[in-house]
Amino acid sequence: MSAKSGSATAERAEQGQGSRRPSESLTREECLELFKQLYLARYFDIRLIKEKKRGRLRGTLYSSHNQEAILVGSLFGLQSADWISPIHRDMPAFFLKDIKAGWDNDTRIGMTIEEVCCQVWGKEGSPGRARDNWSHIGSKSKKIIHSTSMLAGTIPAAAGVAYADRMQGGNCVVLTYNGEGSTAQGIFHEAINYAAVHKLPVITIIENNQWAYGTPTELESPLEDFADRAKGYGIPGLIADGQDVFDVYDKVMEAVNHAREGKGPAIVECKTFRAYGHGDHDDDRADKYRPAEEVEKGRQRDPIAVCRKKLIELGHLTGEAATSFMAEGKGAGEATNDDFPPEVVAYLNKGIEAAIASPLPAAEEGAMWVFKENN
Amino acid sequence: MAATTEAPVALKKNYLTALKEALDEEMQRNNLMLCQGEDIGRLGGAFGVTDGLQAKYGEDRVVDMPISEAAIIGSAVGMALNGMTVMAEMQFIDFISCGFDQIVNMMATYHYRTAGEVNIPVVVRGPAGAYGGGALYHSQMNEAWFCNSPGLKVVCPSTPYDAKGMLKAALRDGNPVIFYEIKELYRKREIEEELPTEDYIVPLGKAAIRREGSDVTLVSYGQNVYHCLDAATELEKQGISAEVIDLRSLVPLDEETIFNSIAKTSRVIVVNEAPMTCGFAGEVVARITTKAFHLLDAPPSRVTRMDTPVPWVKPLELHVLPSVDKIVNEAVRLVKF
Repeated sequence: MSAKSGSATAERAEQGQGSRRPSESLTREECLELFKQLYLARYFDIRLIKEKKRGRLRGTLYSSHNQEAILVGSLFGLQSADWISPIHRDMPAFFLKDIKAGWDNDTRIGMTIEEVCCQVWGKEGSPGRARDNWSHIGSKSKKIIHSTSMLAGTIPAAAGVAYADRMQGGNCVVLTYNGEGSTAQGIFHEAINYAAVHKLPVITIIENNQWAYGTPTELESPLEDFADRAKGYGIPGLIADGQDVFDVYDKVMEAVNHAREGKGPAIVECKTFRAYGHGDHDDDRADKYRPAEEVEKGRQRDPIAVCRKKLIELGHLTGEAATSFMAEGKGAGEATNDDFPPEVVAYLNKGIEAAIASPLPAAEEGAMWVFKENN
Repeated sequence: MAATTEAPVALKKNYLTALKEALDEEMQRNNLMLCQGEDIGRLGGAFGVTDGLQAKYGEDRVVDMPISEAAIIGSAVGMALNGMTVMAEMQFIDFISCGFDQIVNMMATYHYRTAGEVNIPVVVRGPAGAYGGGALYHSQMNEAWFCNSPGLKVVCPSTPYDAKGMLKAALRDGNPVIFYEIKELYRKREIEEELPTEDYIVPLGKAAIRREGSDVTLVSYGQNVYHCLDAATELEKQGISAEVIDLRSLVPLDEETIFNSIAKTSRVIVVNEAPMTCGFAGEVVARITTKAFHLLDAPPSRVTRMDTPVPWVKPLELHVLPSVDKIVNEAVRLVKF
């Protein structure tokens, strides 16, 4: 699948990009870090699917497999003080945020792997003390808007965060993540229209994975490119190849720079494909609504493979390193720990150990924190 | 000859002015407070509650919003997450349903799902209530929806003093508050009163006894408080002494004041202008039945709107709403029970 750039909006965006793409300024180390983060996001997904299949986890896992380049590429260029608003398929975003401040840096403005694993395991160490499930966490101090099941329902909060930041003299941007399906919600329109009126630095990333649960895009919108929704708000609509971490980085950075200059919001559509079912409960039923050939085709451009090819072309991956850890194309059933860099496996192991060690919250907590108590 | 001193003429203020003063004073004392809503800035609000605030505090802090109730509420939640206090106006409380998801799923649950990490100091306020010929979409009392959503405080003042003191309390509370203003009371001359010149609040969760009595308790809030007071006057002529309680706050609910009154009267009628089924009066009756049954000499009763929308023309509107006559008749029935 290749990025479509047929729309006038996308062409304008391409033209506005200038001669040098932001990713061309990345150092070799940064490029290799991006590559490693793709592994980290992939391993998180694969390992949790394995844990789930072993009956160690409750709740639903919404796989981000095949969509990791969107998370890694969009988060990499952010500043620590920036906010994000992930949704259900974006769990790696919680620990990828500000991870360049150090994977093990507990004071970075992103969640630790321990916190995220405690949440998945439903333990007390979760940032939300496991009161809502899986991706429904966030953190005011880590500048992550708490996700809910209402999808685009968090975009107005993102706009409000941006407005309040500006009122208090800040210069942050807010990245919101959405599926193409949630662009059909009324609140998507209300929130982006409001953000556009006030030129708020809110960037709406549309992860167009072509399936909204069991419904294909043509039944969600008549548009070929969801980025074209931007036209109705008078804001830029960019299209990125969601399989290419560098292209995502470039398009998101273009939108981020635009927003940080006070020019307002943008939409960045990342074209991708949902590799598995809507959630792990749905994996066995996905054949019912989408043909196997489409799935086969959609999985062909694995973001790890696309990145590897680019790094080899750039001369950043050579010799044995160019062909080691061939995780691409492998699902949870085929991949083993040997397909991943050992530091990636160790990182997640650390999180899982913390989650297992963390106690369950006390039952009484179920009735606590309905209201802020004023004494 | 002794000099005559003239007492300064006390200035009585109406319910709307009381609300405006509350907003003005809270905006003054809290630089991180903002007001937003439809037509609240340049126009000063459809009823004038925010009149003059934009000129005083600027377009950034008194914001004219697009016709987007969900975004008005949802962006307020984001602002609260990032350190601000927000007054979000619904032009009519009827329109709050357009922002329903943002209220019940985002705002109401925020403190709970973050285990107390996040407070949401947002007050969603707007003109409510019938009896003015506003018809289906400018007459609603939809408070029960929000009383049924844990995490929201729900209040409804009936006097200028309470309107000001409760709005100030709501803006300082730190929890999301749905604030029902009675538009028929905004400029009602009969209820104008002097307001303290010094800063004051009326705590949320405390009912007020508006008239003392010994035979029957009339529990109400908002505009119906005045119907109850008129009914009490009428009942007195018939030799029945009615106590009138103004709940003021539905969530939290001051059960103690209700039960103490019933201990005295042993009869109770709960009056509200929302429809009967699953209305707040039903909740009050349920609590009385489960917790104060032993105090009663007659079944607890309620006078509410019929289970209908609010129709437009006067005879139809009055037909479906609580009235002084309906309250009097019900009180007489209970006393004879």
